[in-house]
Amino acid sequence: MQIIPQIETPVSKNYSVFEENLIKLLNAIKNNTQNNTGTYNSLPQIIIEQNFGFNALLLCRDLKEKHKIKTAYAFNMRDKNRISLLSDLITLKQIGLKDIIVFEGVHPLKTEFKSAKPVYDIDILGLGLMLKRGLMNDIQADLFNFGAVIGSSAPVDFLKAKKLIDIGADSFFINYGGVNPDESMIKYIKSKNKKLFLNVKELSIKGSLNDFIKSIDNFGFDGVIIKITDENLNVFTRK
Amino acid sequence: MFLTEKKDIQEIDEALKKYKKIGVVGCASCASVCLTGGSREVKEMKKHLEASGKEVTFTISIDEPCDKRVLKEDIRFVEDELKETEAVVVLSCGTGVQTIGEFTQKKVISGTDSKYIAQTEHIGEYYALCGGCDVCRLNFTGGVCTVTLCPKGLLNGPCEGHNGNNCEVFEDKECVFVKSYEMLKKYSEEDNLNKIFEPRDYGHSAARTKI
Repeated sequence: MQIIPQIETPVSKNYSVFEENLIKLLNAIKNNTQNNTGTYNSLPQIIIEQNFGFNALLLCRDLKEKHKIKTAYAFNMRDKNRISLLSDLITLKQIGLKDIIVFEGVHPLKTEFKSAKPVYDIDILGLGLMLKRGLMNDIQADLFNFGAVIGSSAPVDFLKAKKLIDIGADSFFINYGGVNPDESMIKYIKSKNKKLFLNVKELSIKGSLNDFIKSIDNFGFDGVIIKITDENLNVFTRK
Repeated sequence: MFLTEKKDIQEIDEALKKYKKIGVVGCASCASVCLTGGSREVKEMKKHLEASGKEVTFTISIDEPCDKRVLKEDIRFVEDELKETEAVVVLSCGTGVQTIGEFTQKKVISGTDSKYIAQTEHIGEYYALCGGCDVCRLNFTGGVCTVTLCPKGLLNGPCEGHNGNNCEVFEDKECVFVKSYEMLKKYSEEDNLNKIFEPRDYGHSAARTKI
């Protein structure tokens, strides 16, 4: 099971310093066998998330081209209408990034930008439909590996996962909120030969990372995404 | 009912600054129900304007000022006074304000803020259930509108942030997709649970509201 760090591009840090620190972090993770980090060539080594900070596409490009790091781009449906999304997708195509991870996104009322207009022009299913069909000649059908972030705490989450499978989503990222996910949902997604990951915020990990990984080892996940908030001080660097 | 709230009186006074002869129009329909434009509010506005040194040329409550047919009939009662009037304070939703402005060709000042299409629990307690969002999907969602009731307006299932039952944003409220699921089960319409909605067509709704 591969462990993949995910981090948002920061608001006020220097771009180059942040980039350098990420490289150090990835090397530390690679060299730390205790972290159970095997590397599967097909999976990304890091996920860069666009939220409030500087443009994550720029960083994705630099990690890929300058440092040869397999990078995935994570973004939400909260901030972009379909014109802005198209622009991002064209940029991703231009820089050759194929792995995208999409989530609906935290509502502005739950952020520091309470007066921002929540866009949610289309939901992740809608985006999946468009991507699998192709978009305006610029984005050919099935150009991206489409990863969807979902919940797993209610029957309606299972239904959403089924719909996402129907439209051809490639991988699933189950949000971990302190309770182990629904096993029937895991079995269903795996039975459809889809990649399955657990999405964990580092603050949800109460003990050591190793103990946490052991506790979920039997679920059959292909990987665990650990969302960290600081590239220097985090669950990977904690002694 | 379309919910309105009273505007800050200072904004109205500011908008009326250069006008002396003022008419006041209320709405005996929606704005009356939510106590922003009924006959009592019209009287209060008249009193305020007179206390501010304005001359109130007429007051009238129109059943539905948003309906040109009704407006045309009712406005005849103040036809002469309207000729002398410089500006009209309208205590109705934005549709009423604009309809009166267009019809009378007078300067109109809105006395309310327009909110949303509301269900009335009782006077003072209202809920938004319908966003008038063009294509109604209620027949497929168990009769609950996910576009209006989900703070994210999602179509195809819950966001990743709910806690199993309650909404991520309004934590004391049930997630609308959980409610929709329960209703579809109740009416044995489980097939609709698998329905995939295409992204909303905003081009369609823009064409509908084109002026």
